[in-house]
Amino acid sequence: MKTKARIDSIRKRRKVEEKYSWDRMSDSDSERHSHKIRAIIAATAVIIVFFIYITKLYDLQVSQHEFYLVKAENNRIKIRPIQALRGLILDRNGERIAENYNTFDLVVKKERIEDKRVFVKKVTDALLLEKNQVELIREQFKNRRLKDVVIIENISMEDFSKISVDQHVVPELELTPQSKRKYLHPLATSHIIGYIAKISEKDLDSTVVNILEGMTEIGKTGIERFYQNLLVGEPGYEKLETDVQGKVIRTIEKHKPKRGLDVYLTIDLDLQKFAYSLMDGKEGSIVAMDPRNGDILAFVSAPGYDTNLFTKAISTKRYQQLLSRKDKPLINRVIAGQYPPGSTIKPFFGLIALDENIINANTSVKCAGSYKLKNHKRPFGCWKKEGHGPSDLSYGITQSCDVFFYRIAEMTGIDIMSDELYKFGFGEKTYIDLPGELSGLIPDRTWKRKAKNLPWYPGETLNIGIGQGFLLTTPMQLTLGTAILATGGKTFTPHLLLGYKNIKTNEFNKYDYLQNKVEVKIDSKEHLEIVKHAMWRVVNEKGVGTASRLKRVGNIEIAGKTGTAQVYSLDAGKSEKKSLQDHALFISYAPFENPEIVVTVIVDNGGSGSATAAPIAQKVIKRYIENKNEKVANK
Amino acid sequence: MNILTPSENRQRVISGLSALLRIDTKLFVMVMMVTILGLFTIYSNTGGNYDLVFKQMLRISIGIAAMVLLAQIHPDTFRVFAPVLYFFTIFLLVLVIFFGVGKSADRWLDLFIIRFQPSELMKIFVPLMLAWYYSDKPLPPRFIYLVVSAVIVIIPMLLIIKQPDLGTALLIGMSGAVAIILAGMSWKFFFGATISLAGLVPLLWINLHEYQKQRLLTFFNPESDPLGSGYHLMQSKIALGSGGFFGKGFLSGTQSKLEFLPEHSTDFIFSAFGEEFGFLGTSLLMLLYLCIALRGISISIKATDNFARVLTGTLTLTIFLYVLVNVGMVIGLLPVVGAPLPFMSYGGTSMVTLFSALGIIMSIKSHQRILRK
Repeated sequence: MKTKARIDSIRKRRKVEEKYSWDRMSDSDSERHSHKIRAIIAATAVIIVFFIYITKLYDLQVSQHEFYLVKAENNRIKIRPIQALRGLILDRNGERIAENYNTFDLVVKKERIEDKRVFVKKVTDALLLEKNQVELIREQFKNRRLKDVVIIENISMEDFSKISVDQHVVPELELTPQSKRKYLHPLATSHIIGYIAKISEKDLDSTVVNILEGMTEIGKTGIERFYQNLLVGEPGYEKLETDVQGKVIRTIEKHKPKRGLDVYLTIDLDLQKFAYSLMDGKEGSIVAMDPRNGDILAFVSAPGYDTNLFTKAISTKRYQQLLSRKDKPLINRVIAGQYPPGSTIKPFFGLIALDENIINANTSVKCAGSYKLKNHKRPFGCWKKEGHGPSDLSYGITQSCDVFFYRIAEMTGIDIMSDELYKFGFGEKTYIDLPGELSGLIPDRTWKRKAKNLPWYPGETLNIGIGQGFLLTTPMQLTLGTAILATGGKTFTPHLLLGYKNIKTNEFNKYDYLQNKVEVKIDSKEHLEIVKHAMWRVVNEKGVGTASRLKRVGNIEIAGKTGTAQVYSLDAGKSEKKSLQDHALFISYAPFENPEIVVTVIVDNGGSGSATAAPIAQKVIKRYIENKNEKVANK
Repeated sequence: MNILTPSENRQRVISGLSALLRIDTKLFVMVMMVTILGLFTIYSNTGGNYDLVFKQMLRISIGIAAMVLLAQIHPDTFRVFAPVLYFFTIFLLVLVIFFGVGKSADRWLDLFIIRFQPSELMKIFVPLMLAWYYSDKPLPPRFIYLVVSAVIVIIPMLLIIKQPDLGTALLIGMSGAVAIILAGMSWKFFFGATISLAGLVPLLWINLHEYQKQRLLTFFNPESDPLGSGYHLMQSKIALGSGGFFGKGFLSGTQSKLEFLPEHSTDFIFSAFGEEFGFLGTSLLMLLYLCIALRGISISIKATDNFARVLTGTLTLTIFLYVLVNVGMVIGLLPVVGAPLPFMSYGGTSMVTLFSALGIIMSIKSHQRILRK
């Protein structure tokens, strides 16, 4: 018999057992069923999501494989260019004008800088940089083409040790070996050689120079620009595998750079330096050319400027300073200076008038100090107020009689004058191997109508006749024109390139000047002789020739023509202000019988051609002859 | 007397051994395959360094030990201790807030002997607690159950967000949701609650840390900031995409070895694996995870009581969810939250936690009553 208490106790225990016994769990069908449905739904969801993921993976890994493969390669492979050594520039005797030297630059890679401002401040403090240096750094940060920023260039040993100490403060800094350009005679040769500097956006548009991958510097002007493609060589490169920090793991490929070719110029460095020294304190140009082959022996545009400044990251401020200087050192006067030729044009117009049968050797014009043109109020004055009396062409050139040339200009007329003047190379480029040449100006009726919308006035023809007015020539054109006269129309395109040499194969390629002849048909040898003789008289007929005060150079006879180009107005020459003074010109060649050298001198605001320009030309010719004799003696 | 072929004999020995150890062979083999792939990837990533591989093997061994140990314990014991374990871990999470250590966020508790993340424990204890809670509740559940279970999930979530560890908190939240669904919660209640929780998102957003916000924003537009938060994702995609169909080959991954791929042995191990083994490798790996999930679900269907069913199902789905979160993150389907890939990523706590979950599943599998109605 069970007591009630016992029954209760059993019931209680059962309840506990029911609750905690595994075997007696309340596993109802409904619960099991409900869970099964939910589990199947979950499994389905899992499978669906699985396929979504597989699809996405397929898209990523198979469909877009190429795209990401390229990205992975770009991550991994860095191309590091190796600069090719630039070719040297030498003169005709093998003397160096431009060479390279090795130095170190303190550089930082832009990609390693997170905050420019913080970095610049850190560097400034660590290296005690000056204000202008900081400015330069900022400029470079702004230039998006630059990958590296140069903090300090051409580091000295002192700086080097200081920086090594500080490098842990600014760990981004790197010292990179650099090959730098050095110009040995920067001022004397600035307008020939030009300079190299960092490639700019403008260079990228150039169709002439090849810009190869990895090049950082490029010739900006002068020979450095014109023969950029010869000088530059071919940059090499290293294909590197790098890790995320840019640390090089291994070199995959290496292509050695090819050194540029050495360029030999026709310049005689001694003559060049001498000529430059003659222009000390003056502005103007000297060109010396060998008319037998077109070799330019000296090429001076004064003042020069320090081209070595440009190979460094020249600041815009410094550049502006050079640009705004009154004596305009950046202008290459020889090829880009356009001057009225003044009386130096007279032999050409004389020859034209003879050839056109407008005058003959005996045609005489009476000079009474001025010339009266019909329907023209003011008479045209001669430089000699008292007049030259009757003069023929030879005397007109020798004495540089303006009235004679007014008369023949009037007789010839502007149409023939302008047409025929092109024959002597005026009005177009000489095509010397330098960039930036200007072509001067031969005015005519069409030009005036177009440019000024005015008809041609007869008085202007007279002005052109004495090399004034709108007529503009460059010193280079005058040189070529003189060479044409000197050689009887058989000269060559002026050029600075003598040849180029591959240092590796020692193979010298000489520039073939015969390919670029300047041939001018001279109608009459006699007429040419009349003019040339007159030019001989200019220098050699004592007391008559405008340049007859020149000292003789041994037994060498010089022929030439003086010129004084008037600036602004007719009476400007009397002004005391320098910028209003006349330009002094002199064209010449020597020896008279077998011309070897043509020399053109223009001194800006130098006064008269006979007093200022002619003596300079004489000195250049003298030096040339001396050098030549010395060479012969040495042989 | 039966004469067995050697392979039959081996099979008998294996099944006998696994029965003795209460191990589910299929599940265990599949998981071990994943861990071995993980070891290979770590070996390759470190450029053939055995150090990390050995360390990882040690952790796997500890994990397996924990799994075997837990498989021996009767599920009733888990049920009995569920509330204790849950509240003790809550206590630990509170401790973390005051005494926690860590690099960017204080997630670790330094117990002098070992350092561990209490939040990891919650990955198991939240499902356990919920399974316990629903084990004696009749179906269909009432609304109040949903409220209580929501509280069970949200308390640890809040504590973990505070650390701050948004990723783990969300994972725990999701596993809680899975448990509630599996427990039989009416869909009506569930979706109602989900929508009202979604209403809380702006509130959550305000409380997020700046870097957490940044990550979420970057997820929606990874190219906007290729060197910042989007960098991880971009490099991960590059690693996977450059792998192609067959992969670059074992030891030939460049993204991982040259360190372009960050976290290549932990959170982004899937990308490193995919770079070397290609789509072929990643799809097979995903298939392995799918099979693991399906095996777990099948175990949960066969389980004989509600507690076992909810717990097994939840733990299985949670593991799969972790896979989805991690892989989704590295292939750009989900934001970068910083969650390890189960059984593959280098790291101790997660490995031990996951093997423990596996142990609990196996305990349920091996202790279940054969008798069926």
